[in-house]
Amino acid sequence: MEVNKNNEKIENNEVEITTNVIQKPFMTRKRKKLIHDIIIHMVLILFGTMFIFPFLWMLTTALKTNSELLQGTDVLFPAVPQWENFRLAIKAVPFFLYIKNSFILVFFAVAGTLFSSTLTAYAFAKLEWPGRDALFVVMLATMMIPMQVLLIPTYIMYAKIGWLGTRLPLIVPFFLGGGSAFYIFLLRQFFKGIPKDLTESAIVDGASHFKIFIKIMLPLTKPALITVTLFTFMFVWNDYFGPLIYLSDPDHLTIALGLRAFQSQYSGRYNLMMAASILTMLPTLLIFFFAQKSFIEGITFSGIKG
Amino acid sequence: MATQKNKALGKLRSEERVLGYIFASPWLIGLIILGVFPIALSFYLSFTNYDMLGAPGFIWFTNYRILLSNDSLFYTALFNTLYHVAISVPLGLLVGIILALLLNSKIKGMGIYRTIYYLPNVVSVVAMSLLWLWLFQPSFGLVNNLLSPIYNFFKMEPLLWYQSSDMSKITLILMGLWTAGGSMIIYLAQMQDIPSELYEAADIDGANGLQKIFKITIPLMTPSIVFNFIRGLIGGFQDLTVSYIMTKGGPGHSTYYYSYYLFDKMMSDNAMGMASAMAWILLVITLVITMGALSLNKYVFYLGDQS
Repeated sequence: MEVNKNNEKIENNEVEITTNVIQKPFMTRKRKKLIHDIIIHMVLILFGTMFIFPFLWMLTTALKTNSELLQGTDVLFPAVPQWENFRLAIKAVPFFLYIKNSFILVFFAVAGTLFSSTLTAYAFAKLEWPGRDALFVVMLATMMIPMQVLLIPTYIMYAKIGWLGTRLPLIVPFFLGGGSAFYIFLLRQFFKGIPKDLTESAIVDGASHFKIFIKIMLPLTKPALITVTLFTFMFVWNDYFGPLIYLSDPDHLTIALGLRAFQSQYSGRYNLMMAASILTMLPTLLIFFFAQKSFIEGITFSGIKG
Repeated sequence: MATQKNKALGKLRSEERVLGYIFASPWLIGLIILGVFPIALSFYLSFTNYDMLGAPGFIWFTNYRILLSNDSLFYTALFNTLYHVAISVPLGLLVGIILALLLNSKIKGMGIYRTIYYLPNVVSVVAMSLLWLWLFQPSFGLVNNLLSPIYNFFKMEPLLWYQSSDMSKITLILMGLWTAGGSMIIYLAQMQDIPSELYEAADIDGANGLQKIFKITIPLMTPSIVFNFIRGLIGGFQDLTVSYIMTKGGPGHSTYYYSYYLFDKMMSDNAMGMASAMAWILLVITLVITMGALSLNKYVFYLGDQS
């Protein structure tokens, strides 16, 4: 009798334990996760507002009248959106000429960077040649040299060969790996990630390194190529001092210089300045949204390990 | 089959010794023309009085002596830069790490948040400067508008931000935090390399969320922290666009940074020798601080290989 009772007790206990395991912790864990997620979302939205609000404020400012400007936050949205401001901003400076000039520089810079950095990265990642590892260290070290150390002598060099006032100093260096140490590093990581078997079997089939580079490496590293393209695009499009130093012909001025000229012409007219700023930002924003998935993937894959 | 493979590979190995140089030639040529030669030239020029007109005259250490012992603006500019770097770099690291930790959790809509936080990095420095000129505008700007209840409560005058020499550096530093998403992406990249087994093991040992962050995530993030730290330092010492456009170095030289002074020496005065000396002083400062940062390497944790 007693044994039976004990058994029953044990069984009851067991049942209780199992239900405990299945139900109670499950519920609390789920609830805990939910609370955790809600807190994270709230913090992210709060910070996110601080990051995105300046953009929204830029847009509403661009659509305000002059008198609405002076009322600050009393007027969050303009009573009548002044789309006219954008038209005025475009007409105030040769806007489309500046856009065209920036695109010319971007085109050559992207082409040059892709050309020099992919080839060099392949040499560092997949070929064995004397001095390779030492030169790789040299390449990383070049990232630490202040640009001013190089700027002064290269400026003098360009002056001596008559390149001042032309676009050449803003184009040629990209074909020689200028400023692309980080991209070479990034691409090397990608190339190294491609399995040896793949290249070796191609070699057995009689493929040359050049063929492997074109037919296997480049197609397999698209996210990295997009990342490099995007970074170069943004750098050149947004660069202010390069064009300021080297360009003098008004017909060559870029959008960053144009925006600056606009500022000195219309200082205080913040609605027009914001309209002009938005217009100059549009191409980079569009390209960023277009390519952002590959872009984030491109950086994430590189896994910078110090 | 195996010998055929080895033969093909062996032939290619010998080719590679030449091919390596051919593939790397664009960069190698650039390294010599745009790297080694300019560095040597810049070092030489720093001992001359070259002004783009006559031939460079060798004047030994005169440039360095004038800068270091006889130029108060040099020290003003150096102080401004050190002040800026000393505050903005650690602050930027902190914000970047916090953002990355927040964005590393597995919840819905992460892609959207990442895009939003990264977005300011897409904007050109000129456009960003114009935007913040407007946001920090003392009388009608958004920031002072939002802060006006606080000003009223403490019965204080609204802050003048970039228009006052006391606040101008802080204003530029605060502005810089808007682009902390750039370093965040690099932290995130590294966080995703951390094996999930580590967290599972910690769960079994009963570690809570904070413990996991401080005992696993942050130690394993140290390589990218060092990377971003050095990147921030080098960038911080070189940056002049924001002060050039927003404040013109003012008010009263309060945002006149080292690289701004160097740029003026170079472009306004054509004092190439003096500017080169400044560039070399900057190089030495950068190297010393970077080496200091790299000596922290013994506290850096590497996952897997040390490469």
